[in-house]
Amino acid sequence: MSTKAPATARPPVVHTYDDIIEEDNELPKWWVGTLLLCTAFGVAYYMAYSMYGIFDNPDIAFEKESAITRAKEAERLKAEGPVDKAALLLLSKDSATVADGAQVFTTTCAVCHAANGGGGIGPNLTDDAWLHGGAPDAIYKTINEGVTGKGMPAWGPQLGSKRVKAAAAYVITLRGTKVAGGKEAQGAPFEGD
Amino acid sequence: METTPNALEESLEHQPSSPSDSKMDRITYNDDVVRKFIAASMIFGIVGMLVGVIVALQLAWHPANASAAGPWFSFGRLRPLHTNAAIFAFVGNMMFAGIYHSTQRLVKARLFSDFLSNLHFWGWQAIIVAAAISLPMGYTQAKEYAELEWPIDIAITLIWVVFAVNFFGTLAKRREKHLYVAIWFYIATIVTVAALHIVNSLAIPIFAMKSYSVFGGAQDALVQWWYGHNAVAFFLTTPILGIMYYYVPKAAERPVYSYRLSIIHFWALVFIYIWAGPHHLLNTALPAWAQTLGMVFSVVLWPPSWGGMINGLFTIRGNWAKLRVDPVMKFFAAGITFYGMSTFEGPLLSIKSVSALAHYTDWIVAHVHGGTLGWNGLMAFGMFYWLVPRLYGVQLHSKKAADAHFWLATVGIAIYMLSMWTAGIGQGLMLRAVKPDGSLSYATFVETLLTIKPLYFVRFGGGLMYLTGILLMTWNLIATVRAGKPVVTTVDVPALVDEKKEVPWTELLFGKPTLIIFAVIGLAVLTGATNLIAGSFFLVVAAMVAVLGGLVLTKKDDGGEPTWHRLLEGRGLLFTVLTTIAILIGGVAEIVPSLVSSPTEAGIAVKVDPYRPLELEGRDIYIREGCYNCHSQAIRTFRYEEQRYGAVSTLADSRYDHPFQWGSKRTGPDIAREGGKYPNLWHYNHLVDPRAVTAGSNMPPYKFLATSSVDLEKTRFKMRGLSKVGVPYTQADIDGSVENSREQGKAIAEDLKANGVTVAADSEMVALVAYLQRLGKLRVDVAPAPRSATLDPLGTH
Repeated sequence: MSTKAPATARPPVVHTYDDIIEEDNELPKWWVGTLLLCTAFGVAYYMAYSMYGIFDNPDIAFEKESAITRAKEAERLKAEGPVDKAALLLLSKDSATVADGAQVFTTTCAVCHAANGGGGIGPNLTDDAWLHGGAPDAIYKTINEGVTGKGMPAWGPQLGSKRVKAAAAYVITLRGTKVAGGKEAQGAPFEGD
Repeated sequence: METTPNALEESLEHQPSSPSDSKMDRITYNDDVVRKFIAASMIFGIVGMLVGVIVALQLAWHPANASAAGPWFSFGRLRPLHTNAAIFAFVGNMMFAGIYHSTQRLVKARLFSDFLSNLHFWGWQAIIVAAAISLPMGYTQAKEYAELEWPIDIAITLIWVVFAVNFFGTLAKRREKHLYVAIWFYIATIVTVAALHIVNSLAIPIFAMKSYSVFGGAQDALVQWWYGHNAVAFFLTTPILGIMYYYVPKAAERPVYSYRLSIIHFWALVFIYIWAGPHHLLNTALPAWAQTLGMVFSVVLWPPSWGGMINGLFTIRGNWAKLRVDPVMKFFAAGITFYGMSTFEGPLLSIKSVSALAHYTDWIVAHVHGGTLGWNGLMAFGMFYWLVPRLYGVQLHSKKAADAHFWLATVGIAIYMLSMWTAGIGQGLMLRAVKPDGSLSYATFVETLLTIKPLYFVRFGGGLMYLTGILLMTWNLIATVRAGKPVVTTVDVPALVDEKKEVPWTELLFGKPTLIIFAVIGLAVLTGATNLIAGSFFLVVAAMVAVLGGLVLTKKDDGGEPTWHRLLEGRGLLFTVLTTIAILIGGVAEIVPSLVSSPTEAGIAVKVDPYRPLELEGRDIYIREGCYNCHSQAIRTFRYEEQRYGAVSTLADSRYDHPFQWGSKRTGPDIAREGGKYPNLWHYNHLVDPRAVTAGSNMPPYKFLATSSVDLEKTRFKMRGLSKVGVPYTQADIDGSVENSREQGKAIAEDLKANGVTVAADSEMVALVAYLQRLGKLRVDVAPAPRSATLDPLGTH
């Protein structure tokens, strides 16, 4: 270019626009290196994920991880022993478990069932009438799996079996306490364990 | 080199040594429109930041939603106003001022048309006013940064065409043969924003201020974030880089560091940026290949972005001393540094595993404010402080106030970003934390919100500081303007002599660089078309050809011959065409496959029933109130998300969502599978007073929905419109819409009445509850009950 200065200590000035001088310094080497590295990473990543399947894409990775966690969960539940009437009734007599359950109840259940269990959005848990069964194992199932379409969320995945069992134990202690100002009875009368 | 010897004659970029050699033209720059755009930018800067401070307060302290005064000021309606004001009003007007001021001087020509300049200015302000009125009224297309309804979208298109004609008309009558790097960035801005805006705004109008996106579900998500990310790229980045290339060397009084760096980072930036959109949709139902491309291109985007930062900072480096005494230089140096920081953070956040933690959290909020407040804001302030005194022929009124503004702004941003980083990372970690037994450590979403709420107050403080700084600047600049008067700049420049023998454009189009690019594209196509081994080979070769070719081309040290790129800089039209091709490749490669693939190929062949008429109305209320600003509907592929929100979202779930509602931020929980989770009464209570069911919630109340009613007669028009874009509503569905809505509304109202709440069956409340109860239950295989049984989503509660 006509204006290009001969190579000197100063970098060459290549153009001038509106008194702005444009030099033509070398690209910083670390920058060029970064560009090459990033491009190489990009190509390698694309090949590893989208061409060769060396690494799993998020959906497949999730499926695999889920299978493992589900197996572990099943194993753990098996080790915990059966969640049956007897076991739950026993827990409902353990004051530490009931205290834990009361705490879970306050943070997650009281919104709909009232702090004293008297009901509100959800049914009264202190009367003798039960929509989805008042037996200990039925209570556990209702909390754990929820009642699809009836507005009872499944708490098992969020709380885990330990906290669900504690909550069930606490609810068992509420049965028949008939708190003042509770919601009217809903569902079938409970006949006893 | 593919030049002819004649091409050597082209070299008119400098003043001839003796002016008498050639004809001189006297030109007077149109700085009047520049002054107007600066004033508008400052006014809307204050508005945008003020609304920002208000919405920040609303998140920390819910009474700030002023719900008693009506629904107009709730977070969901104001947040789009804040983003639109900051991006399109504040930065937009600043960008137009900078482009018009610098372009005239760089190409030595007055703006093409005074009429078009004024039409551009007043048209843009009218659009902003229309946005400021229509967004709080709830008119929205529910696509982020593209919320404005279709009549305003058309106005934006027309005014953008006015801008383009005015800009390219100015280039056409230029007296400087070659286009400076700033102009390249302006060209890329104008072309790309036009393409983005038109494609993403394609919608089917229903009423005067209501439309539905022609795209649905994952397609809409892909188009929206192709737009959304490149609005950041081509509205908030490229024009500001152009402005940097003009004002930073001017203010620093130093040469621009490297021409060859300009070339390589410009082309790399415009080509690569456009591919990065899917990084907003990582770990969702979006096909894996699109996620991978989005992530890979985001990572590769880091060096080209830093190329701009290097050219800016190395230009300033020659004159560090000035940094201490000149507020303009402080703003520019800090602004460019924030650019470097944000463009490092962006690729980092695009890595799938980082996105897993950061997406939907305040980390993203910190990131975008680093870009907007740090890069755009500080560059705008630097430009204003440099330009306004010159446009009015006086010194800046108070340098001390400008210094104070600098510290208010930088410390404000620091407080903002530190608080939001902490909030985002903290909440992200809490949401994924599990106990040894695999259950969630924080079982309810609100526990995590309560933990980070104090940080929302801190952020409010940071924003307030930034706003104070702008007010200080406005006072300072008004005082400056009052002391001076508008300067009319007239210069004599040599007329551009017609090149007698120019290099034919074909020779340029088929020059070495473009041949290299064609080779890369060809190899990339071969990658997809051949088997793994050959494909891998082609891909590696393509990458090597691209990088090495680019480096070799810019290294070319010729003996005085103009390079291919230099010749291209003399050809405005060809430059624009090549820029357009560069930005189209990524968009076409990513979006077209999703548009042409059949449902089976896209993995969404499962049967999906569209929303019932009342649910559709409820969905429109959800959109109107901007619920998507805080609630996502996309459960990602993580165990902890499945535990908290329900089964991972699939393409089928949102297939008939026009527009999609995947969201981008979770201030509240994801609600993709909300349907049936809680009773109708829970939703009623929650909407009337969120804190009645969720203590500590920061959601605004929506009590007014109980008393406002839905015009059921209008639903048919919506269904007809949606049926034209692929939602399978039959004529019988459309004809029976009123009956269907009455039936569904009655069932919900009766259920509520049985629980002690009286609300009209045709109220907006009931419609919204109907919609919420259907969420996540559109797939027929998920809800295997016959269609008649889905009439009441809650069964016989």
